[in-house]
Amino acid sequence: MIRPLASLLCLGLAASMAASAAGPRVVALPSKSPLVTIRLVFTTGSASDPAAKPGLANLTGAMLGESGTRDLTYKQIVDALYPMATTVHVYSDKEMTTFVGQTHVDNLDRFYGLMRDMILHPGWRDDDFARVRDNTVNALRVSLRGNNDEELGKEELYNLIYSGHPYGHENLGTAAALAGMTVGDLQGFYKAHYTQANLIIGLAGGYPASFAARVTKDFSALPAGQPDSVTLPAPAGIAQNQLTIVAKDTRSVAWSFGLPIEVKRGDPDFASLLVAQSYLGQHRLSSGVLFSRMRELRGLNYGDYAYIEYFPRGMFALEPEPNIARRQQIFQIWIRPVEPANAGFALRAAAFELNKLIEKGMSQADFDRTKTFLSKYVNVLTKSKSEELGYAIDSAYYGIPAYGDYLKAALSKLTVDDVNRALKKHLRSDRLQLVAIAKDAEALRTALTSGDPTPVTYVTAKPQEVLDEDKIIERLPLGLRAEDVKIVPVEEVFEK
Amino acid sequence: MRLTGFTPAASVLCLCAAVASSAFAAGKIFPYNYVQEDLPNGLRLITIPTDYRNIVALYIVVGAGSRNEVEPGKSGFAHLFEHLMFRGTAEYSAERYQQELSSAGAASNAFTTSDFTAYHTTFSKEDLPRILSMEADRFQHLSVDEAAYKTETRAVLGEFNKNSANPQQKLYEVMRATAFRAHTYRHTTMGFLEDVEAMPNEYEYSREFYSRYYRPEYTTIIVVGDVEAKKVRSLVDERWGVWKRGDYKPQIPAEPPQDGPRTANIDWPSPTLPFVEVAYRGPAFADESPETAALDATARLLFDHSAPLYQKLVINEQKLDSLNAGPPDNLDPELFGAIARVKKESDVPQVTKEIIAAIEEFASKPVDAKTLEALKQHVRYEFVLRMSNSEAIAESVARFVALRRTPEAINRYFDFYAKLTPQDLQRVARQYLTEKNRTVVTLATKAVTK
Repeated sequence: MIRPLASLLCLGLAASMAASAAGPRVVALPSKSPLVTIRLVFTTGSASDPAAKPGLANLTGAMLGESGTRDLTYKQIVDALYPMATTVHVYSDKEMTTFVGQTHVDNLDRFYGLMRDMILHPGWRDDDFARVRDNTVNALRVSLRGNNDEELGKEELYNLIYSGHPYGHENLGTAAALAGMTVGDLQGFYKAHYTQANLIIGLAGGYPASFAARVTKDFSALPAGQPDSVTLPAPAGIAQNQLTIVAKDTRSVAWSFGLPIEVKRGDPDFASLLVAQSYLGQHRLSSGVLFSRMRELRGLNYGDYAYIEYFPRGMFALEPEPNIARRQQIFQIWIRPVEPANAGFALRAAAFELNKLIEKGMSQADFDRTKTFLSKYVNVLTKSKSEELGYAIDSAYYGIPAYGDYLKAALSKLTVDDVNRALKKHLRSDRLQLVAIAKDAEALRTALTSGDPTPVTYVTAKPQEVLDEDKIIERLPLGLRAEDVKIVPVEEVFEK
Repeated sequence: MRLTGFTPAASVLCLCAAVASSAFAAGKIFPYNYVQEDLPNGLRLITIPTDYRNIVALYIVVGAGSRNEVEPGKSGFAHLFEHLMFRGTAEYSAERYQQELSSAGAASNAFTTSDFTAYHTTFSKEDLPRILSMEADRFQHLSVDEAAYKTETRAVLGEFNKNSANPQQKLYEVMRATAFRAHTYRHTTMGFLEDVEAMPNEYEYSREFYSRYYRPEYTTIIVVGDVEAKKVRSLVDERWGVWKRGDYKPQIPAEPPQDGPRTANIDWPSPTLPFVEVAYRGPAFADESPETAALDATARLLFDHSAPLYQKLVINEQKLDSLNAGPPDNLDPELFGAIARVKKESDVPQVTKEIIAAIEEFASKPVDAKTLEALKQHVRYEFVLRMSNSEAIAESVARFVALRRTPEAINRYFDFYAKLTPQDLQRVARQYLTEKNRTVVTLATKAVTK
């Protein structure tokens, strides 16, 4: 939910935010850099998809960003953008659809004119639509479902946790729904949701002083509208752990599991859970407990991480992309592919570390170190002007100061007791949705529901203390009965 | 340019260019002042102060990649070392190393390519002394016992496994194994699966690999960001100056000229759209002649989004949902390749023919001069736009440093680019993009028409 404008004005020293009486909001980070970034964020996304048309928000955004305008064909746009070496990149999540472009200030006028027309004056051509829809279906069926087991598991986890909820479908939609969509559907979504009330204009770099006013004026041509206001219920609870195994002919087993949390950026326990998550499994760094115990000590796989905010494409990105802000988040653990023989053990090892953290909490030394890490690492997250701008827009969305200032202030007040209390309050391991991508789904179901241990196989001798701990891990109760395990053929995922 | 000496053997090269407000202002394309210095032991230090405040990006480039894996059965060791380097020393155990990085708020990782391995860390500027000190320690005193070594080999197998879900990885493997028969570019940086599986038994060889390549003469340190060159040099002298030079020089087998067109097909076990890759044996990277720039321009003019073939197959006929190409830019002769993802299996033969026909036409007819000028503008802006933060600058520099050990290679390469003529492109295409040099690999859920 967008906060009242009055609460959005405090964005730290560098950023400023302004809004005309009824116009779009502007987040501005002017500097002397010859590079200019334009981020146009519409606070609408797949949460606003009509129930019968999952994927409509994403397809509408893709159509605008990857097609011709009223006056130019897509070929003409590509040709015009080419000498400037820039593109309009569009991505859509549950609550935000973002158009981002970066240009050298030499080309700002020409680039901005094209970007503006792509959003304000789309061409809606049938051949563009056919291509963009095909690309989306292929992204769903081939790139995600066929070629990327890890992302498939993560996305399916969200769908399961939010079943029956506005977040409960893949942003790209389903193959069946996409097949039934028309240009008219996209135009309808565009008219209703591409409004001034939903727009945040973000500008960074060495643009002329008059540029912000020009962009604001141009985009005031959009209907005034009302902010998207989809009601988000609490995700449906589950009484015990539930496992979905996606059956697929693949070499190893990819795991993701998690549960919904009532904490997002700006909430009182956000910093506490961020510290806990970073300690447990900071994304793609070697510092986390999961990485240390599962990969470094036991060699189970390539890495293991934890999250309290949505982080798509984590296998490609070292830092999260901004402008995928959400009103509801989940806690998630990502176990990178493991050999099938160790799949049960790896799941139990991650659950073991989670349990230990919840029960015993963090030590003062670990807390101090993680707090220091996060207060400095925030500089890395905003190392470029484009990223700094993205974070500033997210801060506007959440109604918090500039992210670095917000986080440092929250961390400075935090105690280890705050973290350990928040852990007990928000995390647990007996109400988890678990997702595996595995070839022999029946064998995995049997292994995890039979009550038998799932021992690990090593290629090298391990210290006795590790072997002793393994004996506990291999028998760790998962609370899974046969009826708690669902097997889904991969061909059915994201189809209907 | 100025030359001074810390010792008679040490040299400092200061190359200055004003940061241009326009990407087309006269002068060199690499817009930053940098200081390039050689320590007596052969270690090279390149320091690039930038206006991006508070942050420092450190890249340490080791001139050893999968190209250096010359013994049979030992593929994948450069990449394995990328992993082992995080396993600690007597002074900094793996745990302490991670704790120090954490307290510096550092983002740290590494990657391996055919030609080099890069270790990169981005952190707050006040932590530069301890990060440089820790890095000096692990580059000189890595201490991995056999048990830790074996455990890490399983993490590498895990990486192989997570990659194996992607058919493009398989396409890449088979293309290399088909197009090369002698040179080490025959295997990927991951290595052959059988070699990866056998790694646990190669502990002694791993020590040999470290002793060969983790030496100052193979290493370049690149420091970019909120730094002063003199202070950086002083820190590097303190901990890296004592590093002992080695004497190993690998005998990389030369690939004989290709004797005719080659093909291969991959049956993929699960549903996917089919792929076709058309590749040609190309030259090694050149910054002293226009070949590399010309082949880069050729790849872009033939396969970028504005190219006629892309417009035909992807936008108009919609037979493909992706079409990409890459020119050769490695230390030794590499492949010029184009990859298409085809929507219908029955279109694979026709798409293959059209890609080949477009390449042949390119070699027979000079490109329009205006189109070439638009490309030159694109390439220049693309490079400038990439310089959006200190980490990105360091990464761009690292890729050229891996080839020539100096950012000046960037300027030389782009100078050739700026001077390219339609005749240069035609000449280079005729030389390399020939039927004799061609390899075609297809991948589909079941065999495509051969």
